[in-house]
Amino acid sequence: MARVGAFKSMVNRSAPYMLAGPAVLVIGFGCLYPTLLALRLGMEQWSLGTPWSSATYVGLSAFGLALTDPVVLHSFGVTLAFAAVVVGCEMLLGTALALLLEQPMRGMAVFRTIFIAPMMVAPIVVGMMWRYLFDTQYGFANYLIGLVGIGPQTWLGDPVLAFAAIVLSDVWQWTPFVLIMVLAGLQNIDQSALEAARIDGATPLQAILRVKLPMLASVLVVTALMRLIDAFRVLEVIYALTFGGPGNATEVLPVLIYKTAFVSQKLGTASAISVLLLLVVSALSVAALAISNPMRDGRR
Amino acid sequence: MQRRDGLKLLAATALCAPAVTRAAHAADRFATYRGTTIVVNWPAHPHYDAAIPFVVEFTKQTGIKVEIDKMQYMRMHDKQLLEMSKPQSDYDLITILGMWKTEYVKKDLLAPLGPMMKNADLADPDYDLADVVPAYLNNIGAVGGPKGYLAGPGAELYALPFGTETSVLAYRADILDSLGLQPPATYDELLAMLDPIHDKAKIGAVTSRGQSGHQATHAFLLHLNPLGGQFFDENWNVEFNGPAGVKAVETLKRFVETGPAGIPSYGFGEMENAFLLGQSALYLDTIAVFGGVKNPAKSKVDGKVRYALHPKGARYSAESGGFGIAIPKRSANQEAAFLFMQWITSKSLDVAIAKAGGVAMRNSTLDDAGVLAMYPEYKLLKQQLVYTDADWRPMIPEFGEIDEQVLGLRVSEALIGSKTPKQALDESATAVAAIMKRGGYLKT
Repeated sequence: MARVGAFKSMVNRSAPYMLAGPAVLVIGFGCLYPTLLALRLGMEQWSLGTPWSSATYVGLSAFGLALTDPVVLHSFGVTLAFAAVVVGCEMLLGTALALLLEQPMRGMAVFRTIFIAPMMVAPIVVGMMWRYLFDTQYGFANYLIGLVGIGPQTWLGDPVLAFAAIVLSDVWQWTPFVLIMVLAGLQNIDQSALEAARIDGATPLQAILRVKLPMLASVLVVTALMRLIDAFRVLEVIYALTFGGPGNATEVLPVLIYKTAFVSQKLGTASAISVLLLLVVSALSVAALAISNPMRDGRR
Repeated sequence: MQRRDGLKLLAATALCAPAVTRAAHAADRFATYRGTTIVVNWPAHPHYDAAIPFVVEFTKQTGIKVEIDKMQYMRMHDKQLLEMSKPQSDYDLITILGMWKTEYVKKDLLAPLGPMMKNADLADPDYDLADVVPAYLNNIGAVGGPKGYLAGPGAELYALPFGTETSVLAYRADILDSLGLQPPATYDELLAMLDPIHDKAKIGAVTSRGQSGHQATHAFLLHLNPLGGQFFDENWNVEFNGPAGVKAVETLKRFVETGPAGIPSYGFGEMENAFLLGQSALYLDTIAVFGGVKNPAKSKVDGKVRYALHPKGARYSAESGGFGIAIPKRSANQEAAFLFMQWITSKSLDVAIAKAGGVAMRNSTLDDAGVLAMYPEYKLLKQQLVYTDADWRPMIPEFGEIDEQVLGLRVSEALIGSKTPKQALDESATAVAAIMKRGGYLKT
């Protein structure tokens, strides 16, 4: 009997591992294998189109070079600036729109659908579309500013305007994501708290600032972090819109990685920069999980 | 299919009649490959657009089907490398820029054409390779030779020119006439007329490429050679940052200041469009503009444009090169691809495509009465070809990195004013010297 009990106890203890094991193995292989491969590639200098046997082992030198190369550091600066500006704009706009669309109004479902439409467009199409909109010769952007008497601007040929262009295209596409997240958060707010605020004489603005936003805090932080992670990985839109130009004014890290791998044919260096980018994105992901881990409540 | 495409197809059918006859004689050559499908990687480019209707005719004649994968030309390189690196390439025929050929050959990705041209089962006895303009054949097809990328002892042919380029000056005769200006014969005359055109005619003076990367490098090199500069000296030491190089960048900056708005963001398409839409009075770039000017769907300037030689700087010179077609070594359909390549670059097709708005690459086409009646500007091209320099850019395997990530970046920075021309070129020279050391060209 004692043996049977011990066996049952062992089965009970190992059951979660046996059930979760296959999924963990699959996810582990799917996530870890490419990461380890990238690390391995970062230690080799290898050019696409040549046999792997022609690769030269260079150890960690590519990682050291990536950390000190002014081109990488510049690109990191552009990425940081881009991420900060787009996430800031998207959070402000998305939250404001969500608060507006939260109100029960006729035809609100149609408005919500329209507002989230940009998110459904493929990023490469977004890039091409904005490239035409910002075209100096026949772009709609120059037509619009022409209506208020401003002459045509070289949107994609000026460092500041090109940066503004990539920011605008990202804000256009991803503000709806913030909108959806905040709308979902708003629907989970306990109405009794709002009712209590109203009874206490709070104005609508005070209800937003003192009740709704504090209650949305964790949703807002997680949404901002998710957008930040995405902003660090943005490639397609900038690839189609500016390809990092003019000069390297809009050369965010993913564009630099692409050019290093496929233009300069330095796959090892590109992998090393990718691993560094992965570390930044991982740190942000850990922060996101620390702030709002869906598993946390279950453990308590 | 649009009406225009239909007309092109009809023209293609009529113009290909001699080829039909020859095809009958060469039935055995094609019979083995009837039913084969070849996959062709082509760029979005006026010449290739003009050639597409003729592809249908090739399939009718030979039974070989052609599937075209068309893409923006600066994005072809990455895709081609990925496809050709596979144990079996998905592409059977690719379009290359001359500057990619040495990299591909060094990586053993292209099939040499010599053996197929000598194979009696494949070679068309009427195919006249000597008729191809030597500068094009040399620039686009030859790999090996003393420099590694031009003809000479040890060189082999890996690509045939198709969609070739030579720089010429196109100008709006109506605007220059209204200002009492003559077309510029020299760079000094050209620079002197920029402000009068910009200020008095209220139009951009010269359109130019300027987008960061390859386009900015191309724009720079277009002027470096005529202004007396060269990229490397005989021993691979950097020379482009000398006085001629600085003058070339300064010239480009003047084009930006007086040209149509947006030059620092212009690739080839935007640059050509600015001229075709009447936003600049002068165009100094490839002959692809010949067909563009006459294309009513693209051009507002047909009938107002004249052509002149690329202006003289320290010397007469012009770029020569452009696109070529080559066969991946790991293609499973090399022979069928060769038959298509041979057919589409034959004499009769060269004439037919030139008449449809493409560009000619054969001497016989440049003398063809029918072509000259439609495009008298080919007379000027023949004169310009006398002055072309096949060595206007070093097409070494390392050139891709230099082109896109070194020179193209720095020249772009000079054009937007974040660096002076000298500073941009000196920084580029240092980076290029490091690349040349890494590549084993420079020892110290």
